[in-house]
This record gives sequence, C-alpha cells and structure tokens, in this order.
Amino acid sequence: MMTKQYKLAGFLTMTAVLLLAACASQMEPAQTAIAGIESAISSASADASKYIPDQLSGVQAKLADLKADFDKKDYKAVLAGAPALLSEAQGLLGAAAMKKEAVMKALSADWTGMAASLPQLVATVKSRVDMLSKSKHAPAGVDLAAAKTNLADATTLWGKAQAAFSANNVEEAVNAAKEVKAKAEAAAAALKMKLPGAAPAAG
Amino acid sequence: MDSNDKSATGAANPYAQTHEVQKGDTLGKIAQQYYGDPGLYMQIFEANKSQLKDPNKIFPGQKLVIP
Repeated sequence: MMTKQYKLAGFLTMTAVLLLAACASQMEPAQTAIAGIESAISSASADASKYIPDQLSGVQAKLADLKADFDKKDYKAVLAGAPALLSEAQGLLGAAAMKKEAVMKALSADWTGMAASLPQLVATVKSRVDMLSKSKHAPAGVDLAAAKTNLADATTLWGKAQAAFSANNVEEAVNAAKEVKAKAEAAAAALKMKLPGAAPAAG
Repeated sequence: MDSNDKSATGAANPYAQTHEVQKGDTLGKIAQQYYGDPGLYMQIFEANKSQLKDPNKIFPGQKLVIP
C-alpha cells in the first residue's frame, strides 16, 4: 500500500518536473522571437512612423499581444504567432521606403510648379508696389504698407525655400514655398489686385 | 526679377494684371483707377508699347498690361 503511494507521488512529481522543463525550454525561444520583432520594428520606426503610421501601429499592437502572452507564460502562443509578426515587422522598412519615394516624387512636382510660378507672382506684386510708391495718393482701400511688409516676407521666405531645395530638403522647400505664396497673395489682396484662382477682394 | 507679362524664360505670366479698355477710357483715367494718380499714365503706355503707338489713342477692347 505504502509502496503504491510512493510510486504515485513519484510519478506525479516526475510529470510536474517534465512539464516545468518543457515550459522553461520554450521561454528562451519565445523571448528571442519577441526581441527579433522589436529589432525589426526599431529599424523601420523612423520612416514608418512618418510615412505608414497606421501600419506601424498595427504591428506594434500585435507585438503588445505577444508580450502579454509571454507575461502569461503562454510561450506556445508566442512561438506560434511570432513568425508571421516578424514577417510583418520586416516588411515595414520596405513599405515605408516605397511610401517615402511616392511622397518625395509628389513634393518634387509641387516644387517644380512653384519654382516656375512664384517668382512671377512676387515680381507682379512688386511691380504694383513700385508703381503705387510713385503715386501721390493710393486708390481707396489699398494698404500699401501692409503690401510692402508681406512682399518683404515673401522675398525672404523664397530665399529660404531655394536654400532648402539646394540642400536637398524638398519637404522644407515646398513648405516654405507655400508660405511665400500666402504672403504674396496677402500683399496682392492689400493692393486690391485680382489673381487667377483667388477669391475677389472685398470692397 | 522681370515682371509684366513674360518671365525670364518667355513663359506667359498667369498673374499679369490687365485692363480691358472701355468706351470713354483714357490712360489717365486708367492710371487713376489703379494707382490713384493719373500722372502715372506714361507708365502704362511704356508697358504697352507693343500695341500702343500714341498714349492718347486707345480703343475699347484693347487689353492693356497694368504694371
């Protein structure tokens, strides 16, 4: 009787030991798998966060789920889900690069158009400012001082836009060029000038 | 930076300011309208010498560049 009890206890102990050993043997691979995914995300995160933020968030959410499984010691679940997630994480770099290329191409096209049109806009407004500066009395509603201020700002900003483009910073160049357009249009509005595509000046 | 109706590359300036001459217009009246000073009429004449031979002779329908 006692021998049977000892045998049963021994069997149960051995089973528990084997189970623990199996779990422990999966822990390190699970940990390594998670580390690999984190590394892949980290490599891509700079451009991914800027150009494919939703895709990055999706991968990060799935990683959080895997980490939750790891914390619950469900290493089997981690090892089952990790390969697919690693593939997704590794895909972020290429996806971000493609999206970045498309964005840069669009920005370059924007710059080309603005580089052609903005100097003409600024020159046209400047010509009117020069003429009105000779006038004894500007027409009613014309704010020459405001126009001069906006025109000076436009000219300064255009220099910054060109410098940014020369430094291969197309995004900054386009953003500065948009500000140039806004300032030049504000100057034109102060002079009661009509520009193509702009709303007619009030009064 | 050159202005009026052409850029340095010769491309048309989409922002060039123009005035279509109406019956009764004179360069003086047009200068008054845009500059508040009829005495600046010669500036308009100079900008339109390709189509105006005499600053006192303008005709309805003419499209004048207004610098």
